[in-house]
Amino acid sequence: MIDRRKFLGTVALGTASAAFLAACGQSSTAGQAGSAENPVTITYTWWGNDDRAERTRKAIALFESKNPDIKVNGNFSDFAGYWQKRATEAAGGGLPDVMQWDLSYLRDYGQRNQLLDLGTVKVNTDSFDKSLLPSGQIKGKTYGIPTSTNAFAVYYDPAKLQSLGIAEPDGTWTYKEFNAFLTEVGAKGNGTLFGGTDYTGIWWNFNIWLRQNNIQAFTEDGKLGFSKDDLKKWWNLTADLRGTGAIVGEDKTTQLLPKSPFGSNVTATEVTWDNFMAGYLADSGAKELKLVPVPSDDPDNLGLFLKPSMLMVASAKTKYKDAAARFIDFMVNDPEVGQIFKTSRGVPASKTQRDGTTFEGTDKLVVDYEKSIEKYLKDAPEPPIVGFGTLESTFKRVTQDLNYGKLTVDGAVDAWFKEAEDLIKQNA
Amino acid sequence: MTQSPTLSRRSASAPAQPRKSRRRGADARAGYTFLLPWLLGFIALTVGPMISSLYLSFTNYNLFDAPKWIGFDNYVSLFQDERFLQSVGVTMQYVVFGTPLKLAAALAIAMLLNSKRKGQGFYRSAFYAPSLIGASVSIAIVWKAMFGDSGPVDQGLSFFGINLGGWVGNPNMTMGMMILLTVWQFGAPMVIFLAGLKQIPADLYEAASMDGAGPVRKFMNITWPMLSPVIFFNLLMETIHAFQIFASAYIISNGEGGPAGSTLFYTLYLYLRGFSDFRMGYASAMAWLLVIVVGIITLIFFKTSKSWVHYSGDSK
Repeated sequence: MIDRRKFLGTVALGTASAAFLAACGQSSTAGQAGSAENPVTITYTWWGNDDRAERTRKAIALFESKNPDIKVNGNFSDFAGYWQKRATEAAGGGLPDVMQWDLSYLRDYGQRNQLLDLGTVKVNTDSFDKSLLPSGQIKGKTYGIPTSTNAFAVYYDPAKLQSLGIAEPDGTWTYKEFNAFLTEVGAKGNGTLFGGTDYTGIWWNFNIWLRQNNIQAFTEDGKLGFSKDDLKKWWNLTADLRGTGAIVGEDKTTQLLPKSPFGSNVTATEVTWDNFMAGYLADSGAKELKLVPVPSDDPDNLGLFLKPSMLMVASAKTKYKDAAARFIDFMVNDPEVGQIFKTSRGVPASKTQRDGTTFEGTDKLVVDYEKSIEKYLKDAPEPPIVGFGTLESTFKRVTQDLNYGKLTVDGAVDAWFKEAEDLIKQNA
Repeated sequence: MTQSPTLSRRSASAPAQPRKSRRRGADARAGYTFLLPWLLGFIALTVGPMISSLYLSFTNYNLFDAPKWIGFDNYVSLFQDERFLQSVGVTMQYVVFGTPLKLAAALAIAMLLNSKRKGQGFYRSAFYAPSLIGASVSIAIVWKAMFGDSGPVDQGLSFFGINLGGWVGNPNMTMGMMILLTVWQFGAPMVIFLAGLKQIPADLYEAASMDGAGPVRKFMNITWPMLSPVIFFNLLMETIHAFQIFASAYIISNGEGGPAGSTLFYTLYLYLRGFSDFRMGYASAMAWLLVIVVGIITLIFFKTSKSWVHYSGDSK
């Protein structure tokens, strides 16, 4: 069987276009190749909603029509279930050939030799911003290629602010000013409209605040770069806001799931990633949503950065390294793929893809926002430590307990640090 | 009085008929042959994984790297883990309050359905129906909607002047909601109670009526003792079952055990530790601790049952 495949692969080599020659040429050493008559099938999995599934199917169909020697078998789930499935697959040695990936889990799998070093295959990264690529690299090996970028922002609904008679923010604010703004919305919203959710509950927002204070979240050797006092200061930022109209109560938030309070028109603002725009518009039915930078006490250092909103990775055990590499290359670089996804994955990371995509309406808002903060942008973060996914979710959970009044700030800090220290010891 | 209502007793005394030994050998072979598919599955899919999880419980295992032997460390750190202790508290609360309530509801309804009335067959099916769909995912989702802010439950209670708001997001109310969900799924124990009630000879009640006994007296002196083996069986099964609650808690709390850890049931925490945090050794230790605790509780039940469970074959 294998001999026949190799033979057909050689036949395909002869007829394939010059562009594919290099990619296929490696196949004799780096895996099996297919042909139009006898295509290889690779598996691809991603997380996301129906909208993303629809777009991904279109992209796969396009890839298959351009690459008749490869078939792609797609499969998707929601974000939480996604990682549980990958964990069991990895344990059984059966990860899909190509996967959509999140920065939080890159080290867990990359460092444990579950992911293919994409430096050994051909994926074109010439048109990527050089400051972005290290996010997908661990100790000099490239495990993930960013599909797109996102940045942190404050969303607001201009119509809601107008109805309360509150001026639109211009995005230059300190934490104190931002708190005052949330409080004003809460006071005028009168129990039906809240300022926002507790912004101290999101790890990445804390990370930005640390950067604003010139503190690194994690040290080179995988330890925590900040102290308990730093975290205490952070969680105390909204201490006076909790339980008031400035912050929507956790009991309400829980009941709105899976929608967010902002998407459910319960809050006027939300601090999160800019590629959530399409989702918020669909959920809330708002005519228009706007983006401004996050607050900072240092006007010259907003702590902002472009993060790969998702990466493409391949399994270390894939039998079809070249097919996997070609699919990844296609997904991150092809301009037509950009046209299919627009900004729903984030702003395309590859310049080729970005320039080939026309952004209109809300997509343009996201692209414009990322352009407007360009001068504040710092290097993208390195892949976080092993087990970071747990730390991120613990961060959120502990803040929820804070808002329920089940924990004091000191208790919350102790709880999170114990989890973090256990985890670092565990993986040492 | 000739038959015991318990299943276990009956099956234990059934095959005790004398046979020729050669026949018995052939029968046994045939029996084991028919048993083989199940036996293989049992060994490969239940016993094997259990043994390996026992081994894993003494290791540090993250699914990717080879397990590292750490002795009793997992078991020791369990008792320093606040969330573990919280999950034990939550589960105990559920078992202690949920199980008796569920059994009381099951028994009360079984007694109602046991009386002679027109259309009783319809009522029996109707009351059993919730349990058929009760364990499914869909009902937990419905439950979540019902107990949400301005959901039917909230609106119904406001009508009577009780304003509790939504239950789903309120850590003080979620346990009540979970217990109501399990009480509502009383069908399985109810059917067993009903079968038990039918075994009680009617002449006992007739004789008691003639002696002037009221309904309470009849229940205490006839129904309860006559039914005690069935009550014991149901109590045991439902208690074990309650310890294993997972699916409904997972759905109602979006797999997180929230709000504020109020639905962090033992098995849910075990699952999160194993599959979200990749701490399989820790999760295995939790699993084995649960096996041991449920085993001890079962043992206590059997020991104490002698004082209140009456079998018809007993001397008194």
